[in-house]
Amino acid sequence: MSILTKMLKKKQVQRKNDNYRQKLDPSKPEELVIQKDYSANVSRIEEELGHSADLVIRQINIGIVNGALLFIDGIVDGKGISEFVVETLMDKQISSREVDVFQYVMDQTVALGSIKTITNWNDLYNALLSGCTIILLNGYNKAISGETRGGELRSIAEPTQQLAIRGPKDAFTETLRTNTALIRRRIKSPNLWVESMKIGKVSQTDIALLYIKGIAEEEIIQEVKERLQRIDIDAIMDSGYIEQLIEEQTFTSFPTTYHTERPDVVSSQLLEGRVAIIADGSPFVLTVPALFVQFFQAPDDYYSRFDLSTSVRLLRIISFLIALIGPSLYIAATTFHQEMIPTTLAIAIAAQRENVPFPAFVEALIMEVTFEILREAGLRLPRAVGQAVSIVGALVIGQAAVQASIVSPVMVIVVSITAIANFSTPVFAMAIAARLLRFALMVMAALIGFYGIMVGLMIMAIHLCSLRSFGVPYMAPLAPFSGPNQQDVFIRYPFWAFKDRPKFIVKGNVVRTGENQKPKPPKQSSHKSDKLEENES
Amino acid sequence: METAKISGKQLFVLVVLFEMGTALLEGFPVQLKQDAWIAILAGMAGGVLLFLVYYRLFLYYPDLPLTGYVEKIIGKWPGRVIGFIYIIYFAYLAARGLRDFGELLTATIYTNTPIFFLMSILILTITYAIQKGFEVLARVGEIFFAAVYMMAVIGFFLIIFSGLIHLENLKPVLESGWRQIMEVSIRQTMPFPFGEMILFTMILPHLNDQKKAKMICISGIVLSGINITIACIINIATLGTDLFLRSQYPLLSTVSKIQLFNFIERLDVLFMIYVMVAGFIKVAIFYYAAVAGTTGLFKFKNHRQVTFPMGILILVTAMMIASNFAEHIKEGLYIIPVYMHWPLQIYFPCLLLGIAMIRNRKKQKKAPAA
Repeated sequence: MSILTKMLKKKQVQRKNDNYRQKLDPSKPEELVIQKDYSANVSRIEEELGHSADLVIRQINIGIVNGALLFIDGIVDGKGISEFVVETLMDKQISSREVDVFQYVMDQTVALGSIKTITNWNDLYNALLSGCTIILLNGYNKAISGETRGGELRSIAEPTQQLAIRGPKDAFTETLRTNTALIRRRIKSPNLWVESMKIGKVSQTDIALLYIKGIAEEEIIQEVKERLQRIDIDAIMDSGYIEQLIEEQTFTSFPTTYHTERPDVVSSQLLEGRVAIIADGSPFVLTVPALFVQFFQAPDDYYSRFDLSTSVRLLRIISFLIALIGPSLYIAATTFHQEMIPTTLAIAIAAQRENVPFPAFVEALIMEVTFEILREAGLRLPRAVGQAVSIVGALVIGQAAVQASIVSPVMVIVVSITAIANFSTPVFAMAIAARLLRFALMVMAALIGFYGIMVGLMIMAIHLCSLRSFGVPYMAPLAPFSGPNQQDVFIRYPFWAFKDRPKFIVKGNVVRTGENQKPKPPKQSSHKSDKLEENES
Repeated sequence: METAKISGKQLFVLVVLFEMGTALLEGFPVQLKQDAWIAILAGMAGGVLLFLVYYRLFLYYPDLPLTGYVEKIIGKWPGRVIGFIYIIYFAYLAARGLRDFGELLTATIYTNTPIFFLMSILILTITYAIQKGFEVLARVGEIFFAAVYMMAVIGFFLIIFSGLIHLENLKPVLESGWRQIMEVSIRQTMPFPFGEMILFTMILPHLNDQKKAKMICISGIVLSGINITIACIINIATLGTDLFLRSQYPLLSTVSKIQLFNFIERLDVLFMIYVMVAGFIKVAIFYYAAVAGTTGLFKFKNHRQVTFPMGILILVTAMMIASNFAEHIKEGLYIIPVYMHWPLQIYFPCLLLGIAMIRNRKKQKKAPAA
């Protein structure tokens, strides 16, 4: 132990020497102040950005005052700059020395919506590098920053991961502002609050925290904020980074945060008292706290009628179970519990397996691993070769494998059903959990049959019950069981009965649907139809 | 002691699962033949009375488990000795439950697998659960409760639709006479499973709403008693007295008789799942009580320090308590009730309650004076 701790300590010492200057030291204010001489400022920026090619510096002259306009090419709206900044600046000529040029430029010249005065270098770099235009004027120790973010961005497209037959067809993009706008358009309430922060020492990624004031619990919001502020990492490339840095327990294969690319899903979860975290540059938005049952709810469930959505949801849960224990059931039944299989089927399976040289476990393992390889390859390979893989794949886990006596036909069926069942879980993160645990269960089944599967499932249940997501028990409302919260678990109640928000997340504001929402026929319609019938007769 | 808090529902679920536990598998007083179910009901009534004794004790010391308030009632050192005896008792019962479970599996499905292997896997699973804490155990109980109930209902209807029930097997009622039924219920059905409620004296302090403790526990005992009675009646009605008397596991024999549409048959899986859940909960709760008692008595900082050693102890005990199944059953029927169950479930708690009442009366008299 002591050797290990010593080694760790050594490493920590080594880790400290980063010569990268992250921010100007705020304790030395003289270094932070912008100089009065604008050309000195410009050359300092040029130097500190290493004369980067995408830094554009344009000299301007407003009558008696010289100045410069700076922006980073590519992340700004070029048309906007030339129209509303450069053009207007060139039009004005000031000759009088009485006028405060800085104030004049700010108030009357730059025709941008959002404009700010900057007095220190940290803010200046922040603004410049996030796409603002900086105007420096000679003789002033401050700068103007105009909001000109823009450039080439992906436009809003259809979701690619979480499809729905019925429902909105827009998905989040990589731009933070677009994403918050998509949610804002759906919830036009002043109570939808957006807080922002920057995470990542180098990347300075913008993070937005969304919640509905008055529905979301203050404790949860505080907890999320604290965990976000604790993050100390060089860069955030995707919300996946954040997910792994704020989750409660890392050693679990079950996701304790929910991610989605659908703004409608995020909006409805905000209304259930959850908190959303959007990271700039990621089309996947995180929502917390996430619960186990939530991963079986698809957006369609709410857009189609309750009877259909309930049965589809049950189907999804069953297919999750199949994906989890399908192959292990086959292994257990054929190796340990032949008497459980109906006799005719048992004979058929035995006949098929006669030529197969491997035990059921090896047979299943070969097929499962092959399938996983095919799946991974299908995900990574360039589109042009996709066709080839699917043909080869169909041969490998199909007729050829059977004819070569490597596997039995039943095994092919089992693997295929398992694979298809695995795709029916709405959220990929949960599907992956089943995919991983399947192998563990297969080993258990190969060791001691059904008993092994049961033990595996029990350990899984214990593990699931011990998880928490931001303080909320992961298995709620199943364990701890709560009757009134079963409105959206196995059965999706019709909306007139779907009255409450989940009470283990929301404590105060729980009313979702008002009273007397059950549709009723109008009172006189029965009369009318009777009369009609009388008339007809 | 751990500061875990459980809700009333969770306690109810634990009581029911714990009481039904292995009793559904081998708790039937088969020597009474068709009158066995009466003895179960009588045992249940006795169990409720015993629980009232435990409940009075709990009311005097609502924050302490049994091993804690024994010290307060009869003094530090004698109390510790009694507490230690109780810990051994709980650990021993955990070992018995584990052995029951192992014997059942080796007798029915895993005839070629070493019993030690089967038992060690179960005890490892339980150790994992206890490491996670009592709250997790309670939540797992809720999930298992739903699973068990669903299976029980399915099994019940399958048995009925298979046309296996012959209620005439239950006649003549009271053939063995009240005297014998009472004897059997005091010797057999009252201590096992209903008297084992003594264990919940270790768990009641965890309850968050302590006013409801009485109602929850009694309704739990009654529900589980009724369930065992129903199971017993179904077994007798399906198997007939003769087979019921000779069968090692009547419930298994009943379940394997189910046959519907030439397709639903050999439903040993249902039975097996029940065995797993029952064995798990039963052993886990005894195991937890032993761990919690040890942690409190020997002033360990954390129950996690004790969990693993206690698990090994229980496993080894389960291996050693009997050399074969017959010995194990005989111990359970004739020796354990007289030398362990009666003293620790009836005599001691009654004695403790008597002393506690006298002590507290003194206190109450003193209190107004002060």
